[in-house]
Amino acid sequence: MRVSALVFVLLCAALAPASATAQDAAALRREIEQLQKQLQSVTERLQRLEAQPPAPAQVPPAAAPAPATAPGLSAIDLARPRQPFGLYQQRGAGQLLFDIGIAGDFVGNLTQKNVEKAQGGTFAGQENRFFPREVELSLFGQIDPYASAVVRIEAGEEARGAETGVHLAEAYITLLTLPFGTQARFGQVRNRFGYSNEVHEHDLPWVDRPNVMRNFFGGEGLQEKGIEMTLVPDLPFYIEALAGVFNGDNETAFGRTSLQAPLVTGRLRTFLELGNEHAVQLGVSVASGQTPERLPSTILGWEGRYKYRPEGWLHPLVTLTTEGLYSWRQFNVDVDADGDGVADFLDKKQKNRWGWYLGGEIQPWRRWAGGLRFDWSQYPENPGAERSFEPYISFWPSEFLRFRAAYKRTDRTHRDGFDLNGGSARTVDEFLFQASFILGAHPAHPF
Amino acid sequence: MRRAILILGAALAVIGPMLPAASAADKIHVVATIPDLKALTEEVGGNLVEVESLARGTQNAHEIEIRPSLMLKLRRADILVENGLELDSWAEVAVQGANNPKIVRGAPGRVDVSRGIQVLDVPATRVDRSMGDVHPLGNPHYSLDPGMAPIITQNIVDGLVRFAPEHRATFEKNRQAFLARLDEAMARWTRALEPFKGAKVVVYHPQWIYILSRFGLSQAATLEDRPGIPASPAHLTKVIRQMKEERIKMIIVEPWNDLKLATRVAEEAGAKAVVLASMVGGVKGADSYIAAIDHNVNTLAQALR
Repeated sequence: MRVSALVFVLLCAALAPASATAQDAAALRREIEQLQKQLQSVTERLQRLEAQPPAPAQVPPAAAPAPATAPGLSAIDLARPRQPFGLYQQRGAGQLLFDIGIAGDFVGNLTQKNVEKAQGGTFAGQENRFFPREVELSLFGQIDPYASAVVRIEAGEEARGAETGVHLAEAYITLLTLPFGTQARFGQVRNRFGYSNEVHEHDLPWVDRPNVMRNFFGGEGLQEKGIEMTLVPDLPFYIEALAGVFNGDNETAFGRTSLQAPLVTGRLRTFLELGNEHAVQLGVSVASGQTPERLPSTILGWEGRYKYRPEGWLHPLVTLTTEGLYSWRQFNVDVDADGDGVADFLDKKQKNRWGWYLGGEIQPWRRWAGGLRFDWSQYPENPGAERSFEPYISFWPSEFLRFRAAYKRTDRTHRDGFDLNGGSARTVDEFLFQASFILGAHPAHPF
Repeated sequence: MRRAILILGAALAVIGPMLPAASAADKIHVVATIPDLKALTEEVGGNLVEVESLARGTQNAHEIEIRPSLMLKLRRADILVENGLELDSWAEVAVQGANNPKIVRGAPGRVDVSRGIQVLDVPATRVDRSMGDVHPLGNPHYSLDPGMAPIITQNIVDGLVRFAPEHRATFEKNRQAFLARLDEAMARWTRALEPFKGAKVVVYHPQWIYILSRFGLSQAATLEDRPGIPASPAHLTKVIRQMKEERIKMIIVEPWNDLKLATRVAEEAGAKAVVLASMVGGVKGADSYIAAIDHNVNTLAQALR
């Protein structure tokens, strides 16, 4: 027993330093690892700091005044009246939670006196005048992570000498995070029907909307209140399908104004690229609703747009645009059954009418473009047809300012509908001019 | 039976090309707004990512036409890497047309790599368009300054990790390997431009301030009257006079800008107009991030000699 105790004591004496050494080594290793981590972290931070460039040795160009450093604001500074957007500046960039933009579009026209009398010009009732067609205030941005919103308020002179009217042009919410490649937009919108309908006046590639669009949808185009859904399926090629349900407020084509008999719209759009330089967009659209007389009205549209943009160019060299509309619409007509010159009863008559346009534009220089549009269109209700040639030239002093001048010749087969006040507008010659500007934010233009 | 097989074969022939390859389907689909960010994402993501760029290197990144083909790329994206500072704000229109909730603003798949960048040319006073197409948030052309790559790649890693946290170590490793190669190249670039520190250059569009500052060069004037505004004859005369007086040897031109005009001005002033890659792929041979900076540094050094 004594021997065992002795051996145990000796063993403890021998192992104790070894165990202490092992513990020290482990602690040391941990410490080294910790130091390595700290070193790595410091190195990372140092790399980030080194990545910051030194103060720029820039000599500012004389024409573009270099922004000065903002001084500290005193109480007196804060009490001073502020300039527009002063609050925005002092809060710092990016603090305004949505974008604001203004687009102005002024147009003028010169035409014959008899056309003015008959109010048969492109800007009916505004012949031989210069006027603000559309001054638009746009507010747009994200509502939250799931939705964005756009509000556009427009002011413009709608009739000769009238006071400028202000109205809500668009206001809609887009739900961005729906599943299966879908998106919903609801509110008051410019309908995505064909190419030009959703383009605002100041963004159109011509001074005026194509005749066929004005004849079948009215001067303002198709603008409705309701809901639109789009689907972009995950395919190797681009295709967008759209379906919408609206009130049917458009008086020119529908006018039933009730969801009891809604206006239903649809569109299918695809896009093809031939290398980097050539691109084509093709689409078909449909809108079907009822007129105030509760009679059916359906319009089918087709569109095509081609652009040739040489490699490295900032703008397309050639742009071709075409659209067509075909309308099936029923009307009430008086029937004189016994031939006594007095209508005996109402009958329904279907009128199938159509029209189209083709425009070509060449832009050899960044600031200059010229083009020609040919229109041919019947009228949804009246007999006859009209055709127009419209050569034009555009000049952009900068990205935000554009001037355009055009000559438009219109020949009509009938006077019906263009003979107000004893005038006549069978043949119309017009000089059109336009000045447009953009102030502030403006979203990029789609193809 | 034979008819059924024939129909099945024809259907497969039609549908087959539409289906993505299995290997591609496993990868993370990243779309970058500009080629510089595509190149850097490829460096960080390695084999785990498949990256496409919306803009091409020869284009002006401010003005990209919103084609539906961009929406198609974005439709399939898991992650969108954007430059920010309003350089690529056009991408928002394409995103809204792509119907892809993964990359809408505020979604985890949206990666703004300008986070943490010390932005230059930030206006501290009121700006408006009389100053031209100024960027209220500051100069957005930081991506081809090699000194910014550590921050940009860190932001890209953070974005990729949000989508695939299991690959964090790989992304970190790829990033470190890339930064090591960049460090070596940086030493070479610094040596090449060391003799020209303090030299003044004229630029066509004010998008070179980051790389010029990095290597100690200074921007004396711009050929554009103001950003985005074409030069007037009076402005060009002034620039030529300044170049002669200050013995400025070069005008830097972007691949998409008017080289003829720059050459004419340079000849008048007894200088050279040189084209630098404003983005990866902007000039021949600049097909990777380091190759693009190599081209720019070598061209600068030669022209300043």
